[in-house]
Amino acid sequence: MYRYDQIDQTLVEERVAQFRDQTQRFLAGTLSEDEFRPLRLRNGLYIQRFAPMLRVSIPYGLLSSRQLRMLGSIARRYDRGFGHFTTRQNIQYNWPELEQVPDILADLATVQMHAIQTSGNCIRNITSDHLAGVAPDEIVDPRPYCEIIRQWATLHPEFSYLPRKFKIAVTASAHDRAASEVHDVGVHLKRGADGALGYEILAGGGLGRTPIIGQVIRDYLPQAELLGYLEAILRVYNRHGRRDNIHKARIKILVRALGVQEFRRQVEEEFEANREVAPQLPAAEVARMRAFFEPPAYERLDDIPETSGPGARTASLAPYQAWYRYNTRAHRVSGYRIVFVSLKKHGAAPGDITAAQMEALADLADRYSFGMLRATHDQNLVLADVPQRVLGELWQALEGLELATPNIGTLTDMICCPGLDFCSLANAGSIPIAKQIHARFDDLDYLYDLGPIEIKMSGCMNACGHHHIGHIGILGVDKHGKEWYQITIGGSAAAPAALGEVIGPSVPKEAVADTIAKLLDVYIEERQDEHERFLDTVRRIGVEPFQERVYETDHSPA
Amino acid sequence: MRQIIRRRDIVEDELRYPGEPSTAGSVDVHSASEWIAAAVAGSAPGPGAVLLTATDEAEALAEHLAPLRWIVIDFAKIGEGRGYSQARLLRQRYHYARELRARGAIKRDQLFFLARCGFDAFELDPAEDLIAALGALGTFSVAYQGGSDTLVQVRRRLPDAAA
Repeated sequence: MYRYDQIDQTLVEERVAQFRDQTQRFLAGTLSEDEFRPLRLRNGLYIQRFAPMLRVSIPYGLLSSRQLRMLGSIARRYDRGFGHFTTRQNIQYNWPELEQVPDILADLATVQMHAIQTSGNCIRNITSDHLAGVAPDEIVDPRPYCEIIRQWATLHPEFSYLPRKFKIAVTASAHDRAASEVHDVGVHLKRGADGALGYEILAGGGLGRTPIIGQVIRDYLPQAELLGYLEAILRVYNRHGRRDNIHKARIKILVRALGVQEFRRQVEEEFEANREVAPQLPAAEVARMRAFFEPPAYERLDDIPETSGPGARTASLAPYQAWYRYNTRAHRVSGYRIVFVSLKKHGAAPGDITAAQMEALADLADRYSFGMLRATHDQNLVLADVPQRVLGELWQALEGLELATPNIGTLTDMICCPGLDFCSLANAGSIPIAKQIHARFDDLDYLYDLGPIEIKMSGCMNACGHHHIGHIGILGVDKHGKEWYQITIGGSAAAPAALGEVIGPSVPKEAVADTIAKLLDVYIEERQDEHERFLDTVRRIGVEPFQERVYETDHSPA
Repeated sequence: MRQIIRRRDIVEDELRYPGEPSTAGSVDVHSASEWIAAAVAGSAPGPGAVLLTATDEAEALAEHLAPLRWIVIDFAKIGEGRGYSQARLLRQRYHYARELRARGAIKRDQLFFLARCGFDAFELDPAEDLIAALGALGTFSVAYQGGSDTLVQVRRRLPDAAA
């Protein structure tokens, strides 16, 4: 992973000192709430329903065991013993005291972490593929480019007061595991006609109350020109994005208002005009960054058949096999396997993790996966480099920590925002709905029969839970002070990204799981075979059969 | 009299905005449209000072920069950010080299970024402590990006492209 040098370390320490001063001025009354708000937000600090919420940056989701231990320690010392992984690979704490936030930041700085630009109208955490570096289908490891963009974006003097937040995702695989098409900018590593590395650039995607799929504005950009092109996009946006209406201020609205052709023309014109002074990305800098992301020292191992995993020591092979099948993936190095750590156990809020779990998981990462972990955009964690021969031990350890629920990719592997339980923006609860769904669909055999289904849920139209791109999306709405839920189907984060279609009027809180059950019944009846996913069935037969089932009137005699 | 930060000093301001009383030696500030109209008519007044609002295009001034001694960019609201790009354009693309002043809803917290974008004078929120604000020019001693700054010194890893 990237390791700070003196410049990086100095920067985060100076940022801590600046924020400490800003916090003290606010507490002393010399900064008003209006003045302090944009300053605290750009350092990840919200004032939430009950307490401040601090969002800590995990650049492109990559974490060392040492950092995870620190996150656990912060949860213990400054919070109520847990943290919450987000849909942008970050972690949030829901109960810190404002006065203590500068100390938390100082602790983070000791492990090369920070909360810089995790909120506010600036360039946010650069997200990427959680399988970067181990994905069998990637053309190059995207993480060096993420780090290059991260550094360029950090405290950028020109782009620190944008019209609205700005999110960039970087991927290098045909299979998009970072929802890059619904980001303000998507950067796709690709090879040009001559085989040279470069990028396809998308702009104008986003969720929120106006969900839009991003469009390609540059088919191929040479490697060295990345930062210059990003500066051109950001400058056009900073100058011309709307600032009069917070709901129309994202770049997607500008792209839509201008039309993608005109937006592209303006970006290209700015890019050309700025060439002489634009930042360059020399090949030597790319090489320097790549060196930080070299593969770990893999042993030469042979692949082992899955059934030999837990060995004869465990009586029950079936739970291990389920875990192996759902929570592990093929690795590109023989003898290794990618392991997902499920943060979606029944009864817990999706993405939540306790301090004890973090600390134990850090130990497991040290023992079994070169001391590294990744946070995924669907709120799980990954141990990416696990020797197959230790899978049984690891499974037992994860079982003991309640981190082995074998549900990755299934219906109960839901994405969910904090909702009304924590967030002051929310209209409705998310976590109670997640629990309701978990309780209703607790039969693993049924879940496995359903195959891969992504449920994504947001407690308001700001769409932190990405409901638009769920195969099944659930949006909390407020109806006369009551929590109701609007259901969409057919959305997808993976290329080609798609926005879900609303099936009809929203349903009351207690009917959400029943409604989903009806959708699933239609799927089971209509699917061509067990290989046709829910999403594929929706795409093939349309939403009507689902609507009919959910809203059918009961004509049977009483 | 109004005090401002000019480079690393606190000085009295000689500029007079529309509606303010003129004093001995004060210089009138014109709107961008006034200045451009006068310049096009060949009657650009004396040592010029222009106020750019957030919606004025820096490009429109490009042909008329030579007589200007002061350009003031207005930050009307907390969080206004267009002035940062205007400043970069004036400094980098149009090579404007005289005073570039930021004015309005800005405090010490914005000073470092403003300076890095090429501002060298600051007319801060009247409630701000100017001595403390001067200190804020040293908030960071390092940066990842190139800048148009002459006021702050930062260590960087990558050299500027425009070598």
